Amino acid sequence: MNGTMKRLSDRILGGAMVAMLGLVLAFLVTPLLVTCLLAFDSRSFLGPLPPPALSLRWFEKLASLDYVATGLATSLKIAVLATAIDVLVGTTAAVALDRGDFRGRGLLMAAFLSPLIVPAVVIGLALLLFLSRIGVVDGFTRLLCGHVVITLPYVVRTVLASLAGRDRRLTEAALVLGATEREAFWTITLPLIRSGMVTGAVFAFAVSLDDVAVSMFLTDPSTYTLPVALVSSMRASFDLSIAAAAVLLMAVTAVLIIVLERFVGFDRLLGQGLFRS
Amino acid sequence: MSALTAARPQEPAIPSPAPARMTFILLAPGLLLLFGIFVLPLLGLGLESLRQYVPGRVGSAIDAPLTLENYRELATASFAGVLYETFKLSAAASLVGLLAAFPLAYCIVRRFSPRQRAACIGLLVMLVLLSMLVRTYALELAFGSVGIARPLLLALGISPTSRGYIEVLVGAGLLHAVMPICTLTLLGTIQNIDPRLCDAAQSLGAPAWKAHLGITVPLALPGLVSAFLIAMTFAISAFVIPMVLGKGRVLFLSNTIYTRFSDVANYPSGAAVSIAMLVISLVVLSLASLAHRRKGARS
Amino acid sequence: MTMTRRNLLSLIGASSAVGLSAPWLGGARAATGLTAAEWGGDVVDAMKQIAAKQNGAQFNWVLHQGGAGAILPKIKAAWPKVDYDYIAGWEGSFNSMIAEDWVETITAADIPNLADIPEKIMMRDAKGNVKAVPRAVGGMYFGYRTDTAPFAVSKIDDLFDKRLKGAICWPGPTQSMMLQIVALALQGGGNESNMEPGWKLMKDLAKSGNIGRIAVTDVDFTNSFTSGETSVGFFAEPSWAAVAKNFKITRLTKQAGMATFLYQSGFAVMKNRPNRKATCDFINFAISPEMSALYAKVAGEAPLNGKAAIPPELAHLAFTPKEFESFVHVPDYKVVLSQQDAWAKRWESDIAPLL
Repeated sequence: MNGTMKRLSDRILGGAMVAMLGLVLAFLVTPLLVTCLLAFDSRSFLGPLPPPALSLRWFEKLASLDYVATGLATSLKIAVLATAIDVLVGTTAAVALDRGDFRGRGLLMAAFLSPLIVPAVVIGLALLLFLSRIGVVDGFTRLLCGHVVITLPYVVRTVLASLAGRDRRLTEAALVLGATEREAFWTITLPLIRSGMVTGAVFAFAVSLDDVAVSMFLTDPSTYTLPVALVSSMRASFDLSIAAAAVLLMAVTAVLIIVLERFVGFDRLLGQGLFRS
Repeated sequence: MSALTAARPQEPAIPSPAPARMTFILLAPGLLLLFGIFVLPLLGLGLESLRQYVPGRVGSAIDAPLTLENYRELATASFAGVLYETFKLSAAASLVGLLAAFPLAYCIVRRFSPRQRAACIGLLVMLVLLSMLVRTYALELAFGSVGIARPLLLALGISPTSRGYIEVLVGAGLLHAVMPICTLTLLGTIQNIDPRLCDAAQSLGAPAWKAHLGITVPLALPGLVSAFLIAMTFAISAFVIPMVLGKGRVLFLSNTIYTRFSDVANYPSGAAVSIAMLVISLVVLSLASLAHRRKGARS
Repeated sequence: MTMTRRNLLSLIGASSAVGLSAPWLGGARAATGLTAAEWGGDVVDAMKQIAAKQNGAQFNWVLHQGGAGAILPKIKAAWPKVDYDYIAGWEGSFNSMIAEDWVETITAADIPNLADIPEKIMMRDAKGNVKAVPRAVGGMYFGYRTDTAPFAVSKIDDLFDKRLKGAICWPGPTQSMMLQIVALALQGGGNESNMEPGWKLMKDLAKSGNIGRIAVTDVDFTNSFTSGETSVGFFAEPSWAAVAKNFKITRLTKQAGMATFLYQSGFAVMKNRPNRKATCDFINFAISPEMSALYAKVAGEAPLNGKAAIPPELAHLAFTPKEFESFVHVPDYKVVLSQQDAWAKRWESDIAPLL
């Protein structure tokens, strides 16, 4: 391939990439924009866009409902606890699955992924029946169990993904140079998989915060999560306060990202892997 | 220094294969958790699936006899149809998602400025945190039969209520949910690929597309397979997306299960569908990862 | 022989004057804490207003998540420990609870106001004991959005009209106890015991391409109508009421050839709870004439207490004996409830693939 053709093909590729990225980002962003429109929709029902008028009624409703505060507190507690457990247990499991070369490794990998295959409704019902049989009736414990089950696979998988791509010779080199296994892990491997851990934690937190299907079965009369409370307040009429809640969450996320970027620097948080650009 | 080297004369220069005991200790908490809150409840569900269901009751009675009837009932064309629909749309959405996520992840890691990177990752995190129910209704109002895209669809001659379009819409819904997950997962993979390899290839005369296809993609393959598996498993068990966007006509396995877990409390049948779904999905997914590992071993 | 609410009450006559709700007679009385499972939205609002007007019971309101069926596995899992003093339900959920023997038997001594409620509608166990206290009646019927429906639907055959392509919202197998198929069966000369004509018509309808959406929950149906996706449907009262708040709808409850079904919503008092008397006293208060009228106004379901006035917006649920005879079909619920599982499976194998 001579030089001109190469430059042309590079340019076409570049143009195609830009076009595709634009399309992808437009597709991803559209529902976010629609959600914002819905949250400020003045109508009391779900109607075709665009909304005829805007209003703050859904936010006011969200602020006035007494179960919102309780539900939110429970949701956050469970999400944080579940994520913490996931990161600890998931990372150790992923590291073990990566370093070990034993029979049945593939089977165990599949086993750690399998909670994602089972529909949430099934996990909820199965856990409800099982936990009641062994005597665990407390709503908070049940919810925590359910949320850990459905979020653990995300952490295991993302950490495994970042472990799989790394250069093992780095660890070997460290060991040759006299480091112990533990030192090699903490100084070489862990920073390399940091983005995997953070990504997994974000997924775990998000899934836990949004879950309805599993939580539906595991709440008890005194403990409930926010999504369950919002969904069950609708009987036949669609309540757009869930859109308002989604917009608030978006705002909080945006603020958090900006703060993290300014004070910690995203690159330091997510890690830049081995090769900085 | 000398003490260190003196203390390790017997140690081999390259460490022996990881001692199994350490691996086991690391695996123990995960295995215990998985066993306790996943495997055991599923075994309970499996037992439920073997029990006889008396119509009008809630689930099976305590002393119900064991039977294979719940599984025999699944040997129908309609169940096979639902199975096919689920896997077809999930695979399509996962593949397309991966194709779109890979370039996006690459650009985030290698092409964007730090500020653009933060903005893009922030957007992806926001998308992951977006409630599934709200997202689905937003997609319905944007691309559904009463959505803003309706005039465009009609102009193109596509009937928004036809089954073909609904399937595409469900696929688009799955795609929208899966893409941010894939992109974020691939970030770590791409970070660990040496960009100088591609640069070297290009400086030796290869066009960009050839360099990436020959170097970046093969190196990222384990991560790509991981991302595909996450996307696929997520899509197979989707419930809200087919229910809302599929207008109740495009059914996934989880919708079939939901029918059995409602007022008609036929838990044995629902359990049977769940176990069947789990087994089939595990087979399909292990075939996928097996194929990858064989390819990897060959290269 | 079908009974209407009115002619039944004329038989009972004034003898029910005795069982009026007793106003709480003076004195400070500590309110008993009770836990109740109710539907969200207008129904729990109505019940909260009713609870505010008395001081014998204080409530922790737990809302049904999804349909009434989501609470059943929770009760089964915890049994014999029960977390709820009463559970609001309808024929669909009451049947399972009675079969599982989770509910208390209710006598006239427990709830005197029962005398005002038509006996025929009360759900009983195999021995004939009353097991659930009905409070209101809702309808399941055909209807359409007056402004967006392509034409005025007036008979079942209209559903197959080409102009309705994609315009029908049809309930799914977990909704409406499959009474929509019974309605089709009636058109074809059958009924709930002979459903073949109904299945045949259902297959034709599915093949016609007129069904735009299969609604899986109450909210599906409402959203489908309010967003303009579909405009003709068969559904239960709460969804029609939600749509009617914002759009003009035509309810075909008194249309020859298009059957209307009535279902009850009521209370099931759970066994193994310590506050049976307080629960029964509250329920007795809730079904009194004034409270029934309040419930009807707020929750949108017609009152069953013969002495309560039916608000004008529920006129479509008020039938003269002749109207009742012509338009309302009262199925043999024993058949309907025992066939739910079989019908749902038949829907999945025969109808769903055609949609």
